[in-house]
Amino acid sequence: MRSTTNYLRFGLFHRFCHFLIIISFFGLVLTGMPLAFRGYDWARWLYELFGGYPTAGFIHRICALITFFAAFIHFAFLFISISVQKKKGFFWGPNSLLIQPRDIFDIVGDIKWFLGIGKRPDFDRWIYWEKFEYLSLMWGTLVMAITGLILWFPVQFTKIIPVTIASVVDLPSIALIIHRYEAILAAGFIFTIHFFHTHLLPEKMPVDEAIFTGSITEEEFKHERLNHFKRLENQRQLQDFKVAPPSLFVSFLTRLFAVPILITGLIMVGFMFSALIVWAI
Amino acid sequence: MSYKREKSCVLGILSDFMKFRMSAFLVLCLTVIGLSPAITIAGDNGPCLECHTKQDKLKTTEKAKIDPISGEIKVVSLLIDEAIFKTTAHGGEDFFCIDCHQDLDGADVTEGHKPNLKPVDCITFCHDDPADEYLQSSHVKLMKENNKDVPTCKDCHFGLTYHFTPLGEKSPMYVPRGTDPLHRKLTIQSCGSCHQDYLDSYKNNAHGQVTALGHTTTDVPVCFDCHGMHTILNSSEPESKVGKEKILETCGSCHANANESFVKHVEHPQIKNIKYYKTLLTALKNARNDPENLKKVLKNPQTILCIVFVMYIGILGFTFSSFGLHSLLTWFATARDEHKRKGHANEEHH
Repeated sequence: MRSTTNYLRFGLFHRFCHFLIIISFFGLVLTGMPLAFRGYDWARWLYELFGGYPTAGFIHRICALITFFAAFIHFAFLFISISVQKKKGFFWGPNSLLIQPRDIFDIVGDIKWFLGIGKRPDFDRWIYWEKFEYLSLMWGTLVMAITGLILWFPVQFTKIIPVTIASVVDLPSIALIIHRYEAILAAGFIFTIHFFHTHLLPEKMPVDEAIFTGSITEEEFKHERLNHFKRLENQRQLQDFKVAPPSLFVSFLTRLFAVPILITGLIMVGFMFSALIVWAI
Repeated sequence: MSYKREKSCVLGILSDFMKFRMSAFLVLCLTVIGLSPAITIAGDNGPCLECHTKQDKLKTTEKAKIDPISGEIKVVSLLIDEAIFKTTAHGGEDFFCIDCHQDLDGADVTEGHKPNLKPVDCITFCHDDPADEYLQSSHVKLMKENNKDVPTCKDCHFGLTYHFTPLGEKSPMYVPRGTDPLHRKLTIQSCGSCHQDYLDSYKNNAHGQVTALGHTTTDVPVCFDCHGMHTILNSSEPESKVGKEKILETCGSCHANANESFVKHVEHPQIKNIKYYKTLLTALKNARNDPENLKKVLKNPQTILCIVFVMYIGILGFTFSSFGLHSLLTWFATARDEHKRKGHANEEHH
């Protein structure tokens, strides 16, 4: 039975950012991963599917620009919130996405829960592994952007380093290695850990709709982030977050969009993992 | 060279009469076939293609060839696709089969010809220029010094026979132009059949990863685009395309405004070559006895690449083992809670 009381978890801006990241990330992975797994038939097939050389490269660069745009509006949002609107709690406290001392207690509590010697800890607004995911997305985007730009404009980037250094530090080659293995790290992380932590949990299967519709039910809210719920209740802010539950049509649309994407990601990681097995054998 | 110039000059004059010749040939052919039982070959492909384009007119459509280097026995088709032949480097109108297969010049082929023709001599009359360059290259010199069999024209150019296999597939032998993607792909393989380490490292680089996916058009360099086609010289020689003096020009032919720092690029990264790691470790072991060697190894740009590579393998291993375990545990713990919750719900229901 669907609950009638729903609360807003993600605003329109963050949902839009997540959507942009999905589109660009999949474009990047599908056109870039064949290069990393160039020895396998599926890689050749996939590369041809996206137009081969140089079309796949153009798609890759367009998706990179979308990622840059998403990163830009994200940091612009943070900047405006912090310095213009003077909102608090971005760096410290329960609303912050940075690691806080209480996360250590949450990790210990979570381990107890895994082992069956404790209840699931009551989390606040951001669970510690959600913070890891956010921070690794920020770090990964920075690394991929810098190395990607070096590979995009190798002549211009090498121009700024003196010849004596360039003969020891080969910038484009280093960028290529980092770009390739950071990509495998990012794609592997998103398609396994992010997927299984959020969307494919037994209680969420097949998709956690919160990031698409923006709202969660009161049941989910209390179950997942009890401390956050209580905090809002005590501060008498709970009413501000109340929203109408998403219509069945919106729910259906969400699944129509998200399920094929989840399957694509799982197939990709299956291919990548099979390559690892083939290599190991 | 002089032969070539003379020939093209003569044929240039002749080409004016070409249309006339073509129609005359048809008439002549019919007359010859009708009147005389003997067919001789003289300056025309007609008599050759008469049989070699038709499977039923040949006594055998295949012959076996022994590869002079590997000793492999290859089956070569004797059938020719005329349309494709005409697109190849030797398919021009002023070029005839007997120009290469000279032992059939003027031969009577009414009853076919002897089965094994002389190997085609590419160098003596036509391609003496690249042959000279090739034979004087450090590539060949080094092979002679080490008593290795020097590859001949046809080992790289795959025989240039324009033949089709009986299954109708393109034979790898038909690929003569330097811009032909299939030909370019095959040259990577033929270089790599001796220089395996270089082929492997090339595949790890930006250029090689694209050609490994099957794209070998002229916008991605294959071996000979950088190392030269016939003048394959050691990079220490001044004339070498990858040497100090010419490298800017070589890289610059694709990368406009290539600069001195850009051309220091490592085209053959040794990140997956176990031999390089061994030299790294031995240099570290002998650091006290031979600090100069260690300095040399550390200054090699390959060293940083290897360190970055090993670091990333470590990061990948750590991330996926730790976070993977965490996701699995979360998943099972959630499933356990879910199971319990449903159990309670059922009890209450009963």
